[in-house]
Amino acid sequence: MTYDYHEPREVAEALHLLVKHGEDAHLIAGGTATVLLLRQGLIRPGHVISLRAIGALSGIGRAPDGGLRIGATATHRQAERSADVRALSPALTNAFASVATVRIRNQATVGGSLAHADPAQDPPPMLAALGAAVTAVSPRGARSVPVEDLAVDHFTTTLAGDEIITEVIVPPLAPGTRATYVKFLPRTADDYATVSVAAAMRLADGAVAETRIVLGAVGPTPIRARAAEAALAGAKPSRERLARAAALVRDEVDPLDDLRGSAEYKREMARVWTERALLALVEA
Amino acid sequence: MKLAQTVTVKAPRDKVWGIVLDVPAAARCVPGVASVRPAGSDRYQGTLAVQIGPVRLVLDGDIAITARDEKAGTASFRADAKDSRVGGAIKATVDLALADRSGATDIKIATDLQVLGRLGEFGQPVIKRKADQMMGDFAECLARAVAGR
Amino acid sequence: MSTHDLRFTLNGERREVTVPADRLLIDVLRDDCGATGTKLGCAVGVCGACSVLVDGELQSACLLPAVFVEGRSITTVEGLAKHGELNALQEAFIRDGGFQCGICTPGQLIAATALIAAHPEPSDGDIREWMMGNLCRCTGYYGIERAIKSAANV
Repeated sequence: MTYDYHEPREVAEALHLLVKHGEDAHLIAGGTATVLLLRQGLIRPGHVISLRAIGALSGIGRAPDGGLRIGATATHRQAERSADVRALSPALTNAFASVATVRIRNQATVGGSLAHADPAQDPPPMLAALGAAVTAVSPRGARSVPVEDLAVDHFTTTLAGDEIITEVIVPPLAPGTRATYVKFLPRTADDYATVSVAAAMRLADGAVAETRIVLGAVGPTPIRARAAEAALAGAKPSRERLARAAALVRDEVDPLDDLRGSAEYKREMARVWTERALLALVEA
Repeated sequence: MKLAQTVTVKAPRDKVWGIVLDVPAAARCVPGVASVRPAGSDRYQGTLAVQIGPVRLVLDGDIAITARDEKAGTASFRADAKDSRVGGAIKATVDLALADRSGATDIKIATDLQVLGRLGEFGQPVIKRKADQMMGDFAECLARAVAGR
Repeated sequence: MSTHDLRFTLNGERREVTVPADRLLIDVLRDDCGATGTKLGCAVGVCGACSVLVDGELQSACLLPAVFVEGRSITTVEGLAKHGELNALQEAFIRDGGFQCGICTPGQLIAATALIAAHPEPSDGDIREWMMGNLCRCTGYYGIERAIKSAANV
C-alpha cells in the first residue's frame, strides 16, 4: 500500500479532499476495517483521509429533546460506557458492548462502522430499532438518513462518494418503550452474531401500540421484520401471538450459507431468537 | 461455487440461440463489461468491472465457446480473468441449455465459478451472492434483448 | 507516499520516528524502537498478542497506523517492570502458572494491566469478558485468571 495520509481539522477540509481526490480517496476513522482492507490490498487508494482530528465529529451527549447525539468518531467503547446512552436505552449500551473485544471497541468508531455496512455488526440493528438516523454531510449540504435505510447491500451504503457521516441521532423513546438486543453467537464470544435481534416495543392498555424488530447477520443488510411487526400491531402479546409473529421472520430474512451456519439454520435461529427477544420484552 | 439461473423468454428457440452465441452482444448484458473483442476462433477478450462495497475489481480475461449443439440447444463457455492489482482471479464454466416452451424458450444457465487468490479470501459467501445477482441480471437482460430483436 | 515525523512516548521515554503513511504501530515498536516484547500474531486484531496501551487504553498494535500515535503515550510489556523489578502482576503470572511458551504473555500482561486499572476488583465475569480477546494456546486460561485475581487481590 502506498498512499498520502491526510489529517484535516474541519469537515469542510475533509470534504474538499474527498472531492479533490474522488475515487482515489478513502476515509479512515478508527481504522479497524480500513487497515485490514489496505493490508489485504483489496482497496488501493492514493489518499487516505483521516477524520480523527475533526473535533466536531467527536463526543456523545443528550439532545435538548431528550434524545441522543453520538459523534461519528465516538468509539464503541465510549458509547458502551456513556451514561447518556444507558439513560436512553440500556439495550443500546448492550449492543455497543457486544462488539468483538475491548480492543476493537476502543478503536472502531460508531460512524465508521455504519459506513462500513457489514450486515453482521451489532449496533446498526439496534439503532434502526430505536429509529436512529445519521447526518451525512457533503458539499451539497447535510441530509438525514434513517439507519434502517443506510445500508443497501453487503458493505454498501447510500452514501455518495463525497459524503461523510458526522453524527448519529437517536430520538427520545416514547414513554413506556422497552427495548432489547439479543446476540446469538454459538462459536466464540468475540465473534459476529450468527443471528441478532434488536427489538423495541411499547404497550398501551395491554396491547402492542408500536413495535420495531430488526435482525442482524441474516441478510445483506439489517432486516426490518415488518410482517412480524404487523402481526403484533394492536394485539395483546400472548405467548402464542409472539410465537406466530416470530415465525413470520423466516420469510423476511435472507441469510447466506457460511462458517456460522447454513441459510436454513440461520432462518430457523432467526425465528427462535426473535421469539425469545419478544418474550423478554413482554415479560420485562 | 455453483450458480443456477433460469429465465423464460417469449421468443422461439432459434432466435434465442442466435443471441446467446453472439458473445459480444450477450456480454452487453453483463453489468460492468467494458469491451469484448474477438481473439481467435470462438474466443473473445474483455474487461469486467465489479464492485463489492469499497472493493473495486477490474478483471481482464477471455471467454471461449467450448461446445455447441444447436439441435440439442446446449452450449458451454469457459471464462478466465484476473485482476492483477488486487491479486485475484476467476475461472468459470457456463453451461447453457435452451428448451422449447410452446412458442417461448426456457434458458437454463449453470455456472461453476472459482474465485482465486486475494479475491477469494474476501468472503466466498458474499462473492457468491454478488455473482448470483449478476447472473440474475444477465438472464433478465438477455430475455429483454431477445424480445427486442 | 507521504512521510510523517512522529513524536510519542514509549514506556515513559520520548521517541521520534519518521515513518511512511502506511507503517503500522507494531512495526514501529518492534523494528524502529527495538521493543520486540509486543508480538505479531494473527495480524487481524483478533488474537491479542500485539496488545499495547495507548494513553492507557488497550489497543491492537497490528491495526493501528503509526500516524495515529502522534503525541500519545504508549505502554508495552517492557514498561511494566521498574528498575529491573517485576511488578505484582508479573510476579503473579510466574507464581500462578499464567504462561508456558510465553508468546501470548506480553499481550496478556498488558490486557490485564488495563483490566485492573478499569476494574480494580474485577469479578470472574469481568476478567473473562475483558480477557477474552487474548488467546493462549498453552495454558487453558485458568492460570492466567488465577494470576489476575491474585494480582488484583480478589
